[in-house]
Order: sequence, then structure tokens, then C-alpha cells
Amino acid sequence: MTRIVLRNVEKHYGNVPVLRDCNLEIKNGEFIVLVGPSGSGKTTLLRIIAGLEHITAGDLYFDDTLVNDVDVGDRDIAMVFQNYGLYPHMTVYENMAFGLKRRKMPKDEIDRRVRRASEMLNIAPYLARRPRQLSGGQRQRVALGRAIVRDPKVFLLDEPLSNLDAHLRVQMRTEILKVHRAVAATAVYVTHDQVEALTMGDRIVVMADGRIHQVGTPDELYDNPDNKFVASFIGTPAMGFFDCPVASAEAKPSAGRVRLTEAQRTLLHRNCKAKVTVGIRPERLSLTNKEDDTADILLHGTVEAVEMLGSEQYVHFVVDGGALTARVPREQQVRAGDSVTFRADAKHLYLFDPESSVTLR
Amino acid sequence: MSTATKISRPRLAPGSIVRWTAIAFALFWSLAPIYWMLSTSLKTELEATRLHPTLWPEAPTFANYIGLTGTSLPFVAFFFNTVLSCLLTAVVCVVIATPAAYALSRARFRLAGTVGYTILAFRMLPMVVVLAPLYLLLLNARLLDTGTGLVVGFTTFGLPFAVWMMKSFVDAVPIEVEEAARVDGYPRWQILLRVVVPLIMPGILTTGTFVFMEAWNNLIYPLTFITTMEKQTLPAALVLTFTGQFKTDWGGMMAAATITTLPLMIAFFAVQRSMVRGLTSGAVAGA
Repeated sequence: MTRIVLRNVEKHYGNVPVLRDCNLEIKNGEFIVLVGPSGSGKTTLLRIIAGLEHITAGDLYFDDTLVNDVDVGDRDIAMVFQNYGLYPHMTVYENMAFGLKRRKMPKDEIDRRVRRASEMLNIAPYLARRPRQLSGGQRQRVALGRAIVRDPKVFLLDEPLSNLDAHLRVQMRTEILKVHRAVAATAVYVTHDQVEALTMGDRIVVMADGRIHQVGTPDELYDNPDNKFVASFIGTPAMGFFDCPVASAEAKPSAGRVRLTEAQRTLLHRNCKAKVTVGIRPERLSLTNKEDDTADILLHGTVEAVEMLGSEQYVHFVVDGGALTARVPREQQVRAGDSVTFRADAKHLYLFDPESSVTLR
Repeated sequence: MSTATKISRPRLAPGSIVRWTAIAFALFWSLAPIYWMLSTSLKTELEATRLHPTLWPEAPTFANYIGLTGTSLPFVAFFFNTVLSCLLTAVVCVVIATPAAYALSRARFRLAGTVGYTILAFRMLPMVVVLAPLYLLLLNARLLDTGTGLVVGFTTFGLPFAVWMMKSFVDAVPIEVEEAARVDGYPRWQILLRVVVPLIMPGILTTGTFVFMEAWNNLIYPLTFITTMEKQTLPAALVLTFTGQFKTDWGGMMAAATITTLPLMIAFFAVQRSMVRGLTSGAVAGA
């Protein structure tokens, strides 16, 4: 187990910056997920931790040792690649034993470890096969097995489930967590899928444009996003936003009504902006009628589209030029083009600075 | 409308008639000389030089083949000279080209492209252009009229091609596989030997065979660098032996030519499958 610390890490390809001023501390034995859209730099960050990419500036520590210039083979890490990276000319057994042989481990110890890992991952019957004779899910297990037999200090996973079908992905999620608990290594997991991030991570690192936007537990990120990007990236369907003029410390949407809490009014007063960006999660909105007096928030809009998902439906509508989504039980009849009114509680509103997109605090 | 009528008629389309004619012509073009070589080698001297040539020998005979062993000329030695020098050339080229191709394919240095194209440019030189400087080099290195000198000569021409061909095979090896080996703790040269080389084996065989065949077909180098008849290669010996000022022994020449061609054909058929796989590339990737 190892604590990983990144201090002001930068990475440039020529003049193109791919990572900017990344600071992060990964705790001993933690399962941390790097999540972000493609091009956010999450894979580059993982490869820097692995030692497959050089750091342009900044420092990387494993525990208290500076490892900037330590070769990948000497870092005692194991990695699972997106395309598995199995050795095609070796059997499953040889694939798993290859790294152990390098460490001059006795043959019976290698055998013991390979068999234990293959049983844990249900690939024992395939030890004599070559990767091309296996299904995608089985190959993924072999890649996992190859990583765990090494008993590494750090376990790195680069979008390991992205090549699997949806059903298998859900199954492998729990399997990977099970493996992590069994090996008790510090794990860094890269994904672009925020559902994967929320379900798997002890903590999540949200990245975009080569920067770390926020680090926190799934609850923290969901409840207290630092900025509009994190707010929109975490949660499905995504949080909706609209810009709204502010008058005497109160948001005034053109189509509806907002009655903020005392704390929120203080916030607006303190920040003293002419406009504010309001965010609402789809699950916090419910259909009501135009004359609803009890609601803190009333929003009138026109339905753009309705997505039917079986048990519920997503209603997309527009308020003050901003797109909002509401999660509505399927019993309620809503069609595209309908005029609708939604209500919400003031405490469920998120307020952002419209220029910097940062959460008002 | 017109496309619909075309589709509904499963006749021999004009396009495929042209195609089959072209294939038949190409087959005839390449197989006819081989047939002529074989049939002439089985003819008597009289029949071979007849004014109206026969398509198939009237009285097939192996006399020409037997005659090869009976002459004062050491055909067996010619044969082994050729096999040895070509095989050595192929091995030397592949052994040097593999790490070179690996470096060109994987290393990210500023002059990678320039180095690659410079190597390729050597291949563009006509063989005759390098003949004189190579002759002088071999002369000074005291390698003229030796098998080693011949291998050096063949290698100068085979190597640039081998590097480029091998590079395309290395390019096809997925980088993750190598990175996995790095994570497993292996140094570069071990990754090359234990991961990359097994994966590009079809490519190595293909490249080696090409280099071998090219060296085998090379006439100008042995004729220039080798002066002792006993050290000569088979193709060069053929030219030197069977064409005289006043007489050409067609039957004997064709018998010797058949023996010269045979190892090439065997070599080709032996690696044919991996060669086709190699040429269509991508075969090594994924898996």
C-alpha cells in the first residue's frame, strides 16, 4: 500500500499543455476514480503515476519518495489497460506469470499465485488458452489477474470496462471492487462514465481541460459541486441551468417565481451580481399547476422533448433560454409542445457565478 | 432502373470476362518460361536446338541433370556457395533490421523521419552506382573473391529494404502490449526479444525470404566480386559456363537453371502463408 502525492504536476506535449497544476493526495489503500470527458487529461495523469509518461514540471511522490525519475518497472505498480494489453503469443497462465518471472520468483510460488488469482476471477479453466480464444470479459479478467498476482503497491486501471457490453460492465464493477478489497492496494481508476465513478470510488477526481476541478466523495460531489462543470457532470440526467436576473438579492426569472432561503439571499447580497446562474437537479423538480402558492420555486416553460425510460420519463423544457430536465413518473401525461409548470424547494437550488461558473459561497 | 436490370441478371459480366482474361494472361506470362525451362531441361541436345521446337520432349531424359555432375565444373559447390551466402545475408539483414526497425517505429526523436527516409534513399540507388565504391571497399578490406565479401555486398542492398519492411510489422504491434511488459518490469531489449519478436515472427520470415530471394537473383555482385570459379554462385556460374562464343548448351543450362530456381520456390512455398499474412498486415495486432 502506498500514499500517492502529486504536487503542481504539469504535462506538455511540445507547446500543448495537457495537464495544468495538478495537486492531489491519494490515501493509502484508497480506491480513487479519475473521471472527466475525453481530452480532460485523466489518462495522462494515470500514465504519469504509472511512469509511462514523463512529468514536464512538478513532483510525484510514492509515500515520501520522489519518483519523478523512477522507471516504470521499478515503481511496483500493476496496470490494467483499456485494450487489455495481453501478450497474444502467450497462454493465460504465461500472461499472468510473465511479470513474476522477471522478479525471479520460485516456480512453485508463481504457480500458487497464478492459481489463486485465476480461481478468484473464475478463469481457472482457461489457463492453457491464448487471449484470442477468450471472450472480452474473460480477457478483462486475465488482465486483472495479471495485475493482482504481482501483489503491487499501486493498482492502476485505465477505462478497463469500456470495451465490455453494458450487462458485463455492471458485473465487472463489483468484481473489481472485490479484487481491490482482497489485494488492499492503492487503486487509481480512470473512466469517462460518471456512473462508474459514483458507484466505485471512495473518492472521485473530476477533471476537464487538463485541470482537476474537484476532489471528493460521491456524496460531496453530488451535494456540493464546486462549479457548474462538476454539477453538470455528476448525476444522470445532468443538472439543468438557467441564467436569471437578480433584483434586491432575489433571483427573478421572467417565467415563474423564485423565493430563496435566507442563506441564499445573503449569498446573493454578498456577491452583488446583476445575474446569477441557477441549477436544479432533474429529480428535484415536480409537475404542478400555475397557481401553486406553496412552492418556493415555480418555473413555466414549454416541453421540448420527452424521453420514456419505462418506470419514469425525462422531460426536457426551456426556461429563460436555459435547458432544464425533470424526472417525472410515467403516469403523468406530458408531450412535446405542452406548456408546463414545475416546482422545487429553494434548498435544492444551486447558485453559480455566471462569469466564472464557480459555486457562490 | 438500369442498375436494377443489371443486378437481376446473374450472367458473366463484361467486367469479369476482362478480369479473367487478364488473370489468364498474367498466369501464362509468368508460368510459360518456367514450363519452357523444365521441358528444355529434359530434351536431348539435338531436340533442344531444333529449328521447330517441340512443346514436350519426344524422349524425356535426365541426361542434362546427370551431365551437370559429370562436368569438370563443381555445380554442387556453386549450389552451396549460393545457399550459404544468401542464407547468411538473410540472417544478417534480419538480425540488424529488427532492432533498427523497432527503434524507428517506437523511438520519438527529432530526426526519426530523416533517418528513416535516408535509409530508404539508399535503396533507390541503382545497384551499378554502388558497385565501384563497394569494389574498392572490399579490395581494401581484403574481402574480394571471398564469401564474406559477397555477403557484405548483398547486405548493403538488402538491409534498407529489410528495415523498412520490418518497421511496418513493428508498427502493427499494439503499444499496450509493450507497455504491459514495461509495467511487468522488463527492460527495452528484453521486451524486443520476448514480446515484439515473437509477435512479428511472420514479418521476420517474410522479410528474410525476400532478402534471400533478392540475393539469389543478384548476378552483378558475384560476377564482379568473385574471380575464382569455385567460389562462384549458381546464377553467375550459369552465365559463365553455358554461354560460349560459338555454342550454347541449352539443355544443360536449363537443367542448371531448374536446380537454381528450385530452392527459391521451396523457400517461397514454405513461408507463403505467413508471407501473405505479413503483407496484408494487421494480422499480428489485436488477437
